[in-house]
Amino acid sequence: MSSLETLLQQLFNALTIGSLYAEAAIGLAMIFSILNMVNFAHGDILMLGVYSIVFGVASGLPFWGAAILGVVFAALAGVLMERVAYRPLRGAPDVALLLTSFAVTVLVENGIIMFVSPNPQPFPVPAMLNKYVSIGNLRLPAIDIGVIASTFVLLAVFTLLVKRTRIGIAMRASSSDSVGAHLCGIDINRVVVFAFALGSAMAGFAGIGWAGRLGIVEPFMGLEPVLKGFVACIFGGFGSLPGAVLGAYMLGGMEVMFTAFLPTEYALYRNAYIFVVLILVLLLRPSGLLGTTAKEKL
Amino acid sequence: MRKSLLLVSVILVLALLATSCGGQKATTSIKIGGVLELTGGLASLGNGVANGAKIAVAELNAKGGILGKTVELVVRDCKTDPVVAGTAATELIEVSKVKAMIGLVDSDLALAVGPVCQKNGIPYMSSGATSPKLPGQIGNTFFMSAFGDNTQAAAAAEYAYKELGARTAYVLWEKGIEYTTVLAKYFEQRWKELAGPDSVLLNDFYLQGDPKVSGQITKLRSLTKQPDVLFIASEPDDCGVVVKQFRDAGLNQPIFGGDAYDTPLLTQVATGVSDVYYTAPSLLAENAGSEMGQKFYKEYVKTYGHAPESAFPALGYDSIMALAKAMEDAGSTDGAKVIAALEKFKNVSAVAGNLTFGPNLNDHTPMKQVAIIRTVKGQLELAAMYAPEKVPAP
Amino acid sequence: MSKRQILGALTILFVLGLVFGLAQLFAEAYLTRVLITIAIYAILSVSLSVSNGFTGVFSIGHVAFMALGAYTAGILTLPLQVKATTMQDLPRFLGTIQIGFLPATLAAGLVPAIVALLVGAAILRLSGHYIAVATLGLLVITSEVLQNAEALTRGARTFTGVLPLTNLGWVFFWAVITLYVAWRLKRSHFGRQMLASRDDLAAAQAQGINILRTRLLAFVVSAFFTGVAGSLYAHFVLAFSSRTFYLPITFEVISMLVVGGMGSVSGAFLGAVALGSLKEVMRLLEPGFAIGPIHVPPVYGLAQIVIATLFILVMIFRPKGVLGDREIDPLFWMRWLKRQDDGARLKSQM
Repeated sequence: MSSLETLLQQLFNALTIGSLYAEAAIGLAMIFSILNMVNFAHGDILMLGVYSIVFGVASGLPFWGAAILGVVFAALAGVLMERVAYRPLRGAPDVALLLTSFAVTVLVENGIIMFVSPNPQPFPVPAMLNKYVSIGNLRLPAIDIGVIASTFVLLAVFTLLVKRTRIGIAMRASSSDSVGAHLCGIDINRVVVFAFALGSAMAGFAGIGWAGRLGIVEPFMGLEPVLKGFVACIFGGFGSLPGAVLGAYMLGGMEVMFTAFLPTEYALYRNAYIFVVLILVLLLRPSGLLGTTAKEKL
Repeated sequence: MRKSLLLVSVILVLALLATSCGGQKATTSIKIGGVLELTGGLASLGNGVANGAKIAVAELNAKGGILGKTVELVVRDCKTDPVVAGTAATELIEVSKVKAMIGLVDSDLALAVGPVCQKNGIPYMSSGATSPKLPGQIGNTFFMSAFGDNTQAAAAAEYAYKELGARTAYVLWEKGIEYTTVLAKYFEQRWKELAGPDSVLLNDFYLQGDPKVSGQITKLRSLTKQPDVLFIASEPDDCGVVVKQFRDAGLNQPIFGGDAYDTPLLTQVATGVSDVYYTAPSLLAENAGSEMGQKFYKEYVKTYGHAPESAFPALGYDSIMALAKAMEDAGSTDGAKVIAALEKFKNVSAVAGNLTFGPNLNDHTPMKQVAIIRTVKGQLELAAMYAPEKVPAP
Repeated sequence: MSKRQILGALTILFVLGLVFGLAQLFAEAYLTRVLITIAIYAILSVSLSVSNGFTGVFSIGHVAFMALGAYTAGILTLPLQVKATTMQDLPRFLGTIQIGFLPATLAAGLVPAIVALLVGAAILRLSGHYIAVATLGLLVITSEVLQNAEALTRGARTFTGVLPLTNLGWVFFWAVITLYVAWRLKRSHFGRQMLASRDDLAAAQAQGINILRTRLLAFVVSAFFTGVAGSLYAHFVLAFSSRTFYLPITFEVISMLVVGGMGSVSGAFLGAVALGSLKEVMRLLEPGFAIGPIHVPPVYGLAQIVIATLFILVMIFRPKGVLGDREIDPLFWMRWLKRQDDGARLKSQM
């Protein structure tokens, strides 16, 4: 492979990984922008969606039918979580919500270990996604192309939703001024439920890509998506959905580039470099690259 | 409210005292303890061991138990936490009065339980740990039912060199776990002895739990000279998807892995794959491998409704059976005598490969032949039973 | 300190001393282990209350300091023969010394304290969520560095051969010191500044309180004692690696603090005692038990589920923890006695 081809291939890899992170980050950012909370259990919602796909296929559904089921199930799981664990805490300090979401992950993960299985299960990737496209020396797996394409489509759909529909406008209103929105007659509870449902559905959808890449599903698979999504949101600025996506691509890009172009001894510290960059970004631009929420800085 | 917290704390502490001093009524059963990872990050390993061990106990009791007494397996969940592991081991030895211990695959956890057993003279047969350093680190009560990583890595290197004719290698290992880190190091050491100091064309890693290796694959493909064999040290969860990505990228050289590949996930995720070799204690299948292995396989399917998930159920079974035999040989459950009996094991048949121990600490890692298993279009077959000529020191 | 405070401190010292003394005399290995475990978690919880509870700064990655403390102390006390066989690549001066438990534990506190000073100066300027993220980043970076600095830490391989030096006496000693320092800090000038900066940042700044310095002090002190707990942990568990100090332990310590009372020293301590005992009782019940004719089957994972549920309930009903900011008055028994006494006197007068 020539160096140009290597570069292109690595760029493609970066795009793929960035897209996976973006799909995980969008839902997280959406929930944050409304409730000002980081839902650490977002990754477990992704996991629940994926597990229901496995069940669906095992019960005889075709893959895409089961996938729809998975997205719906994830949305329901998110709404349930909000109703039971987060709504009673409305008004509590932000940290309380974050910590509670930690507790929810413990419950969900142990629940899966107890009631389903502690062992990983294979994920039934449909044959169509198992192929790849060859361009010269480049190998582009179909599933990666699917992930990239779906991310862009989703981003477009989201932007439309948020800018054009009534509920989308209501969401943006509540996120910038919840009291004012309430005074205008917007039902905050409905907006919150909608945000959770949409964000969690997003997680369920992201799960398809993640599980497709992992090849398996296991109870702790949600940890990595939520951590990466979290970091991506920080880079991009928490209040901003496009920011989360930008942050995700930056994160994916850095990961691939560090691994690809640094000699192994230096590449070992890849995560450390990324977090140092993160801290620098926070110090220089506390609201993230595209963030709009005003945050105090001493 | 303040005082109620204080009151609640006091009540809980008293409850703790009560339950622990509840005491065990004297029974005429022989108790074997198992501190296992049943929840937490390593839950997929411990549950397999528990399943295998339970089959062994049921079999023993059907035949009259050990030394005429029923065998009872007392299991504790260590939650993949070394503090809990140590406490559970202490509880089993002191409160439940177990005579022997099995369990634990991960070195961190085995090293939390080992010293407790060593201090109390309780024989401890680990069901799956492969680090050959463990007996030296813990003491003479510790035995392993699985071969050491140095043994299996050497077998892989020699087989690839001699039987597959490979002369250059690529090494990929999962970073963050002792097992894969050490396995890759032993492989590289033995490989360089055989093929020369420049025979590893690229040594790369991927992060634990992050098996998206497209970047690493691209790096490999951009080498001017392609290696003859790919040694990929992965965990059971990742091996399938990593192998699949390599094959999908057009890399068709033989791939070699460690005993972690011994899981249905390999062929379930990397469907129809060929030329993937791995080292394992034995080939466990319904219609292949040893008679003992087939019997265990069938019994497992009958009891649990699915095939053994990995090598660990077999190792759990073997741990119990080995301890049982040692107790029978020694005619007693006394720790020192059981240890002596274990050390005399020569080619004792077991599901996951015959066991031979010896009196030196390094010989508490069994000398086992290594089964080299090959995949052909997604089917497993036994390529060879191999004993490495030279094994790197632990 | 007033006479009342001295009396209160002595009461606590007496009670703790009694518990540890009885344990030393009568408890067998198992109960001793449980007691040591709870005490180590109590030290972690109380030191976390100093940084998180008092100042409202949420450090999620605090366990990084525990890791640093554990490795520092572990390396310093490792016997020379073990160093020669398993850690040949240690830098010369570390490879040839072996020091005692007390100096090693002090070092185990100092190293994280220095790191906290440097890192804190940078990140404590941020607010709320962002500090939480930055400390999480600290945890990840520390974990990564420890995993890769093979010469010092054996990398991903288990760090083993640590001497079993932790015992009831040492744990008692350090628990008492941590409690004392935390308590004094809270009642001091600095303590009031910390609470002020937590409750109303703008007002505190208007009063001229230097927020950064206040937060930094709390952070550094907290890191010191967390490192000490790390040393105690290392010499208790005897084998660990960088992944031992990651999210599961983090959640455990945070739950103890949150349940007990984020701004309260006694709350943090009691939270650790209550949750630690609860966890162990649950663990004993997990393999299944029988109450008369009813036979309960094994439920592994019960302990984690119960604690997580308890956590959520506390968050819903008492989001600042059971004790919130208040402390338990150790002399409450005196007040009770006095009330009895007053009652008797009143009665006799009637």
